[in-house]
Amino acid sequence: MALLDAIKKNLIKVPLVSTDKDGIIEELATLYASEEGLSEDKRKEIIATIEEREMLGSTAMENGIAIPHAKIEGLDKVSVVIGISRLPVAFGAPDGKGTNVFFLVLAPPENPSEHIQILSSIAKACSSQLFMRMLLSSKTKEDVYNLFFE
Amino acid sequence: MKVPFRHVLVYLDGSEGSINALMYAILLAKSTGAALDAMYVVNTKAIGDLVKSRIFIDQERKEFLSDLEKDAKRHLRHAERLAASKDLEITSVTKEGSPHHVVMDYIKNSGVDLLVIGSVNAIRSRRDELTSENDRMLRTSPCPVLVVRDQDDIWAEFEEV
Repeated sequence: MALLDAIKKNLIKVPLVSTDKDGIIEELATLYASEEGLSEDKRKEIIATIEEREMLGSTAMENGIAIPHAKIEGLDKVSVVIGISRLPVAFGAPDGKGTNVFFLVLAPPENPSEHIQILSSIAKACSSQLFMRMLLSSKTKEDVYNLFFE
Repeated sequence: MKVPFRHVLVYLDGSEGSINALMYAILLAKSTGAALDAMYVVNTKAIGDLVKSRIFIDQERKEFLSDLEKDAKRHLRHAERLAASKDLEITSVTKEGSPHHVVMDYIKNSGVDLLVIGSVNAIRSRRDELTSENDRMLRTSPCPVLVVRDQDDIWAEFEEV
């Protein structure tokens, strides 16, 4: 499974409305749970798992991007939820700057290879300054989607 | 290029596509008498890059490394069982590193004359960063590459033979 297989227009939110780390995680996880028709318990489980992982070390990088991720039991495939915040959010980046672009990656524990491949593809794509500038200037979820598939 | 092929390598990555490729490679080796190697590459390059970019913490590095090693054993055992069901002996190979580099090196150093892989992706983006390992292998292999399409009815054929 390649990254492009995991990107779905209905799992992209522009702009995010939350202004803090917990709020961003909850907003992304809630979008996923709602689109996948998950129970309230599962939604809470995803949020708790991501928050626990972030407590061990933030997944925010120096270029304004964060990739919170977790293995979640019961999922049938790797999913990516993309969110872009107009204002930088304090997410624990090493340079102390805020984060605007978020990729929430949720994967079943049974396929570590695909999980790694997708995280790696996101990191590679976002290492391009041009790509990041275009991502940040995206006004709608269609803009973000088209950026990957152009 | 040698014809007919004498040494076939099938690349396994745990995907359904690579299982199809494995079954096709077994049938091919059986019918041609070629030797067959099955290879799984533990992608330590990607894990290392994820640690460097702070996406993985050390605990995750260890956990995913262990997961991938188990995955390698599981898929290679499966490959040996499938081959044995057709009275074919195969060589199982586990390596570490960047999959397409490791596979290319193995082809050059082991005299492999045909690489069999699962399906490659349709070109949906011009971004090279989004290219899959299978795509890279197809583009850079020093020997002929046989791409087994997902839609091929390999399962039924495998059961019949």
